[in-house]
Amino acid sequence: MGETVRFDEAGFETIVATHHGEIYRYLRRLSWRAVEADDLSQETFLRAYRARARLTPDANVRAWLFAIATNVFRNHLRSERRRRAAHDTVRATRREVELDGPEAEAVAGEVRTLTETAIRGLPLKQRLAFTLRKMHELDYEVIGQSLDCSPESARAHVFQALRKIRTTLNGHALPMTEPTR
Amino acid sequence: MSKPTSCIQIEPDLIAAATGEATERAAARVQTHVSGCRSCRDDFARYRAVDALVGTLRAETPPAGDADAARQRLITRLADLKSRLVSYQVFPSPLGPILIAASEHGVALVEYVRRHDAGDSRLFRLADVDTQEGGAALERLHGELLDYLAGRRTRLEWPLDLRFARSDFERAVLQATAAVPYGAVSSYTGIAGELGKPSAVRAVAQALRHNPLPIVVPCHRIVGIGGDLVGYAGDRLGLKEQLLTVEGVPTVHARTPRIARAAMYHYAPNPDRQYCLPTCGTIATRPLGQVRLFGRRELAEVTGLSPCVDCRPDLHPISA
Repeated sequence: MGETVRFDEAGFETIVATHHGEIYRYLRRLSWRAVEADDLSQETFLRAYRARARLTPDANVRAWLFAIATNVFRNHLRSERRRRAAHDTVRATRREVELDGPEAEAVAGEVRTLTETAIRGLPLKQRLAFTLRKMHELDYEVIGQSLDCSPESARAHVFQALRKIRTTLNGHALPMTEPTR
Repeated sequence: MSKPTSCIQIEPDLIAAATGEATERAAARVQTHVSGCRSCRDDFARYRAVDALVGTLRAETPPAGDADAARQRLITRLADLKSRLVSYQVFPSPLGPILIAASEHGVALVEYVRRHDAGDSRLFRLADVDTQEGGAALERLHGELLDYLAGRRTRLEWPLDLRFARSDFERAVLQATAAVPYGAVSSYTGIAGELGKPSAVRAVAQALRHNPLPIVVPCHRIVGIGGDLVGYAGDRLGLKEQLLTVEGVPTVHARTPRIARAAMYHYAPNPDRQYCLPTCGTIATRPLGQVRLFGRRELAEVTGLSPCVDCRPDLHPISA
């Protein structure tokens, strides 16, 4: 008679075990609050579960999950924007950054905090491209797929982000690494 | 003060080289340029510093407990989604469009639908169900179903999920019905008797009217005590007749379609598990249900029955 149809989902448990930590860190970097990253990472994997049938055996699961997470985050921003009036968001944002202020005065952390603030202040696509490339070291090919753009424009986004971060840090003493030859 | 053209041109390579993104050739070009350009040398150093800062941020991870807690909550929600999620797809078949739906436990719904978008399916009227279209497993089920309907396969050995049965009684009726073998016919009365509730004939008929798994749970093999096909998929007795024909069960058309009992082998439970010709003793007068009927001898014997030593159906087969 016929082979038995497989209904077990052991494969997906493995996907969660392998990739949840990294996807959570990615969303945590993008989100303002830990609880947001928590929700969004759940949403990412629940969506992935629903879409798992479209995953081919040779697919790059990590790239696929990053693309879903990126999508989930962008949708989240969109609905957040709708929910609150724009000026409210800006005010809340400022306040939160300022709360970090006193601590950031501790000299060692100052440049770091500035860098973080600069990253948060990037236009969305640049910020996403930068985070995917510099924090998670994904290929431009994969980043392009996540952002619906070519690998070349993904690269351009990252470079634009680096320029802006550098500009933000102008006038601040930076911990210099090795001297230029 | 504007930058010289050569500095503007080298800038993308310079950023790339300082942040580990450059090709060897680009890195070499940058080296050559910065060795002769003080301002770009400074730029390069600052990009190096930015890169180092970014590296520090990359190395930072949120507290492990946070990620673990998030994963635990995910696992709980995933389990909840899995328990509700049913994948479905509508497929063409000789009996018209058929919807097949499966959960993580097995096939939960087989339904004759009138629309290819399944808009009229009962799947969308059920509570506690989360639906999703498509899935590789469903394609395979469809293939097996087509084989079955073409007579190339006599069993659908699918894991079943009886979640859409509405009561334990209905589940019991479905299980008893599933035990009626391929090519055999019993009656609602027969099923009620098997369940030890001989008076529950109407309830059995109701349960089968709501059978969430027609074809797989072969309610088409259950007919009225007089052999009338009675109901199927609303009033689509034609479907019931087609399914019985595939299995070699003869039917006749009087006022309503009914099975041709006189042209079928009879089995009344007996210790020797022998089946008979309809002319053997008074067996043809016993109510359908107490006797089970088979259209084909081989199909009776597949279930472990042997020919009656008195009427010898093996020597006098019923001619088609």
